[in-house]
Amino acid sequence: MATTKDVSLRKKIWQFFWRSWAIQDSWNYERQMNMGFLYGMVPTLDRCYPDESDPHQLERKKEAYRRHMAFYNCTPQTSAFVLGLSASMEESYAKDPASLDPDSINAVKTSLMGPLSGIGDSFFQGTIRVIAFGLGVQLAQQGSILGPILAMVISIIPSVLITWFAAKLGYQGGHQYLQKLQSGNMMDKVMYVCGIVGLMAVGGMIATLIGATTPATFSEGTLVIQDILDSIMPQMIPLALTGIMYWLIKRGVKTGWLLVIAIVGGIVLSALGVLA
Amino acid sequence: MDTLVSAFLVGLVGVFCMLDSRLLGRLNFEQPLIGATLVGVVLGDVPTGLAVGAAVELISMGLVSVGAAVPPDMVLGGIVASAFACLTGASAETAMTIAIPVAVLGQLLGVVFRSIIVFLGHIADGAIEEGHFKRAYRMHIVWGTVLYSLMYFLPIFVAVYAGTDVVQAVVNMIPDWLTNGLNVASKILTAYGLALLLSMMINKGMTVFLILGFMLASYLGLSVIAVSIFGGILALILMGFKFAGGQLATAGAADPDYDPLEDDDE
Repeated sequence: MATTKDVSLRKKIWQFFWRSWAIQDSWNYERQMNMGFLYGMVPTLDRCYPDESDPHQLERKKEAYRRHMAFYNCTPQTSAFVLGLSASMEESYAKDPASLDPDSINAVKTSLMGPLSGIGDSFFQGTIRVIAFGLGVQLAQQGSILGPILAMVISIIPSVLITWFAAKLGYQGGHQYLQKLQSGNMMDKVMYVCGIVGLMAVGGMIATLIGATTPATFSEGTLVIQDILDSIMPQMIPLALTGIMYWLIKRGVKTGWLLVIAIVGGIVLSALGVLA
Repeated sequence: MDTLVSAFLVGLVGVFCMLDSRLLGRLNFEQPLIGATLVGVVLGDVPTGLAVGAAVELISMGLVSVGAAVPPDMVLGGIVASAFACLTGASAETAMTIAIPVAVLGQLLGVVFRSIIVFLGHIADGAIEEGHFKRAYRMHIVWGTVLYSLMYFLPIFVAVYAGTDVVQAVVNMIPDWLTNGLNVASKILTAYGLALLLSMMINKGMTVFLILGFMLASYLGLSVIAVSIFGGILALILMGFKFAGGQLATAGAADPDYDPLEDDDE
């Protein structure tokens, strides 16, 4: 079937690029980024089935649109890979319906969602954002406009590069590249490095960003508790506060309650002269 | 500057920050530091914007939006707090006390809007059945954009336009114990945010790296960026050991899951 209109590879990749960035535009509680994914597939599907006057083509187009309205949720940057891969699968299915089972398209999407949002979120939210804004806040506190500017530069560069290459790899290499990643345990290595850097950065942030101290004194001000704590381990109170909150989260305490605990606890501990 | 114009401009900053995560894949313009600084820029008081932005950013640092969980909307809180600090001359600390209630309010509004968008999905389903393909994807790119923009524009505009004097009066009534208390609360919230981040990041046997990062910063006084660089180097060194046994494992080692770095607890 000569139904597929040809567009340059470059243009296709830019389409995956912009549309994967726009994937959260209708994020909702039910199917999350489903409409976002469909929006990313629209140029490909419209090229595959250009003739709506042909009832057979129209039916297949509806079927394809319906397929991509399924639940989807993944980091926008790494979604470019899934968009590219799905587009290459849709194209080969449109050319030759016998070439692949259409159900496998959604199966591939679903299997990629987990690992790619795991990598994507820990990299962009856990590592890049933490480093960019940890540094940005330190500069901003000194009144420097470089703080927010530097934070944005550090954020934007990896985002652009990764989205572009994810789209290119997904569309061109697709299937085989994914197998290569998994067999050479590259996936594990990337996760391992991100895990260590992220955790160490958070450890550093507990020591530098919270800054809670105790104003408590004994023996009419001659015994300053904070000095004693500092001589044992500086920033002991922030570490303890983080530990307590972590323990509460792991105990399954609801977000709403934790916010109440933090706010009421802060007011009470401050009024009692325990924390400052 | 006219309050109406200020409220409108600050509202537009809010829309820009919100659309960052909607249309630009979250380049991080949607962060309190950036939002508050941009408010400082449009209202002509950059130093105040920076100070408020840094303060609110610290609280929100660890709050990551993952899956269905909506954290308190600290970006909204930061934008409104920055606007109040710039317009009334309040200090960053005072503005912070406004940021927290506004953030909780923003969280509730977010839940309502994200529920409304569920209906757009069903309209799109119907449109596809009828062959109105354009109408289906417009639900996403047009109506999604409109709703998410309103979700930020409306509360910011109303708060800044109607609220400057009202909020100023309320702030004047706030007693010292409450201001001090909320200051401590903001530190505990930072700890909560970091703990939330940790609850997603910590795997078996990885806790030592958290402790190491903390010790480097607390005893040696290193900055976060220095700790991250050391972390990267350490990770690359350790990766050599951890993944060196790959060929052995495939050749039928006794326990392919054996990991010398793992604790045996959990």
